[in-house]
Amino acid sequence: MAAATFEKGIAFVLAIIVGGTTSFQLYKDWASTGLDNQVTKLLLGLMAFGCILVLLACFGILGAG
Amino acid sequence: MAIAVPHPPGGHIDTHSDHIHPAPRTFIGKYIFSLDAKVIGVQYMIAGLLFFCISGLLAEVVRIQLMRPEGGFVSNDTYNGVYTLHASGMIWMTIIPLVTGGFGNYVMPLMIGARDVAFPWLNLVSFWIFPPAGLMLFGSFLIGAPDAGWTEYPPVSVQGPPGTSLWCAAIFLIGISSTMTGLNFMVTIMKMRAPGMTFTRMPLFVWAQLATALLNMVATVALSAALAALFMERQFGVPFYDPGRGGSPILWQHMFWFYSHPAVYIMILPAFGFISEILPTFARKPIFGYKMIAFSSIAIALLGFTVWAHHMFTSGMAPWMQLPFMILTMIIAVPTGLKVFGWTATLWGGKIEYHPAMLFALGFIVVFTLGGVTGIFLSSVPVDLHWHGTYAVVAHIHYVLFGGSIFGVFAAVYYWWPKITGRMMSNKLGVLHFWLTFVSFNATFLPMHWLGLMGMPRRVAQYSDTTPLLINQFTIVNQFISISSFVLAASTLVLLYNMAHSLIAGKKAPPNPWNARTLEWQISSPPPYYNFKKIPAVLKNPYEFGEPLPYLGLDPSDKDDHHPSPTDHPTPAHA
Amino acid sequence: MAVSSLNSTHEAVHARYQEVDSLYRETRDIRLLGFVLFLVSDVVLFSMFIFAYLYLRNSVPNWPPINKDGVQLPRFDLAFACINSCVLFGSGATMHFAMESWKHLKKADFNLWMIATIVLGVMFLGGQAYEYNHVPLTWAGSTMGGSFFTLTGMHGFHVFIGVIYLITLFIQANRGVYTGSKYFGLTAGTLYWHFVDVIWVALFYLFYLL
Repeated sequence: MAAATFEKGIAFVLAIIVGGTTSFQLYKDWASTGLDNQVTKLLLGLMAFGCILVLLACFGILGAG
Repeated sequence: MAIAVPHPPGGHIDTHSDHIHPAPRTFIGKYIFSLDAKVIGVQYMIAGLLFFCISGLLAEVVRIQLMRPEGGFVSNDTYNGVYTLHASGMIWMTIIPLVTGGFGNYVMPLMIGARDVAFPWLNLVSFWIFPPAGLMLFGSFLIGAPDAGWTEYPPVSVQGPPGTSLWCAAIFLIGISSTMTGLNFMVTIMKMRAPGMTFTRMPLFVWAQLATALLNMVATVALSAALAALFMERQFGVPFYDPGRGGSPILWQHMFWFYSHPAVYIMILPAFGFISEILPTFARKPIFGYKMIAFSSIAIALLGFTVWAHHMFTSGMAPWMQLPFMILTMIIAVPTGLKVFGWTATLWGGKIEYHPAMLFALGFIVVFTLGGVTGIFLSSVPVDLHWHGTYAVVAHIHYVLFGGSIFGVFAAVYYWWPKITGRMMSNKLGVLHFWLTFVSFNATFLPMHWLGLMGMPRRVAQYSDTTPLLINQFTIVNQFISISSFVLAASTLVLLYNMAHSLIAGKKAPPNPWNARTLEWQISSPPPYYNFKKIPAVLKNPYEFGEPLPYLGLDPSDKDDHHPSPTDHPTPAHA
Repeated sequence: MAVSSLNSTHEAVHARYQEVDSLYRETRDIRLLGFVLFLVSDVVLFSMFIFAYLYLRNSVPNWPPINKDGVQLPRFDLAFACINSCVLFGSGATMHFAMESWKHLKKADFNLWMIATIVLGVMFLGGQAYEYNHVPLTWAGSTMGGSFFTLTGMHGFHVFIGVIYLITLFIQANRGVYTGSKYFGLTAGTLYWHFVDVIWVALFYLFYLL
């Protein structure tokens, strides 16, 4: 049990760091144009969303264990 | 070490579209591993024709077997393999390669004023996957041909002979080829049109290829997934479709039909494109309803993704699900019908020339419409419950696929043969080919409607005759169908002879024998490898017969047969 | 007018891109659309297997199901997957930084971020290998195992190819194949890597959280 909590703790910290970084980069690049930039923005947004999912999982809101 | 930033060189630069690559010089570079979309297109056509003949012969085996109720021509297992590979070969190794890889590769870049497709190496790989995949498919006879029909429903397909796995691999490979071709064409049409060619100035054949490329690129991947899953279940026991271990046979049907319904639009949309080019040319009239026909192609492509479960009405699916699929299927008839109306209106008041290409186009409209009408019948759930799995469905399929796609291919062959080969075909033989085909086609497939409605199932090696009216009525009708099919098969020989004679001794073709208006007719027959010395600018759509041609900047020497090598006089990038 | 090779501000990045010769620009546009469409078709591939997984999951009353030996299968171990997911998402962020460094002509930074991306990608694969060893499932034993190994295996294969691709890009960039204004290979690599990342978001949710 403790191992799982420890792992969740690490995951929590990582998700904050990575999610924060990704969201910030998305915010910075929001005004860029061109197909490659639009696709990048979309994917960065989805990655940030993934970090949010990890956060919710760490708190047990999502996932059953 | 800093990252270098090169300055653009002084003076003018070739744009991508102006740039002419040096000519290939070796035999292998010119004819075997050519990067030129035209050569690749011809390669697709030759291989497609070969697989058409093989698949057609398999159909004749079916017809010989069905001349007697007790069969007996081949064993039942062989028979199952024969009809499975007939359909698989026709769909995946004949029609789709011919209409997309064959005519799409040859004609589409010419029509948009491009020198080639967007990714020529990808095009090369796409083609060279095709003949090995075809050989794999038919080679499955050697290890026990797949026997569950081209739809390979589990659990029969999971338990089937070893050839089923080979079938999976072969179709997977051709699927990769198709997907890459679709991607290639999408990028080509979106990015490499001549200056001034807006979407509404594109020929309708290009619209058709665009819609088809979209389907090819997205739907074929779905088939790859289904095949991979079937392969994994057969070879490694992974439970996808086995209900005993938590799987579901209906899952296969969903995955398979999610591809296979758009597949039928892949097969027919290019044929619609052929017809849209041929009719105005031989009626000497603008196409009626250009935008209607253009946008209906896209509508059909998009709607085509939403109707797959109409193949599954008898699978035990929930009744509430049947209704939306039925309605959507009926709706898809509307854009198709709009096209037929547009074509008919194009003919109205036109000066019709009954050239073989035009005859097949007219025949297409008649026969495909009949097939479409039976499609409406099938779209209705109560009717489908009776028709499903009977010869009525076989009739529908062949009316739309043979009468639609293959008639379209024949029309396209007669139309573009002079452009591709630089020779004219014999009109008389073409007319003979048409009438033989048209009459024997209808004689073969029309009675199948009746057979199906009277209860003859499809995919049977033997049948029994229980109709009380006349003794052996099924037998007589089946024999009539079989004999008609022999005539149909023989009529293909007329075409083959015409093609061979034209290549050997046909008259030289001028650049524009039909006085058509699309770009491919403004250069020599056959075109030089670089297509256009100078990429023209396009001012209008190509259907305004009677007006001067809407192209600026075509080099008149493009119409000459003897082309100076472009490396002798490097093309100036500016006029 | 040529832009100085020392200028690495945002405006200069934009100007450098605008200034390249039209031949390159057309080629790049064509390749970019082709690559994006390839990614779209790859999404369809994953979507089909995800559909199959959801369909199979929906067709039994209880999930996790009972495997072919009659054993009730447990749910996945969430905590480890959370860490592994962050590793992969982190590699996406480092890849973004690598790209930004390149655009701003900072070669040394680019190299560092690329190495970080590659290392994190390999760590993710290692994590997956660990997970494969510890999860009480077999490929053919149940629909849970079948769908899990098929989907994550396809994804892991894509990550593996991605790592090879990134290593190749790293080597090519250091050999001078890419310049401050012409670096389409790097763009394509970044898009591919982000795509692989986002597929994992979906798989993580579907297997571990659903």
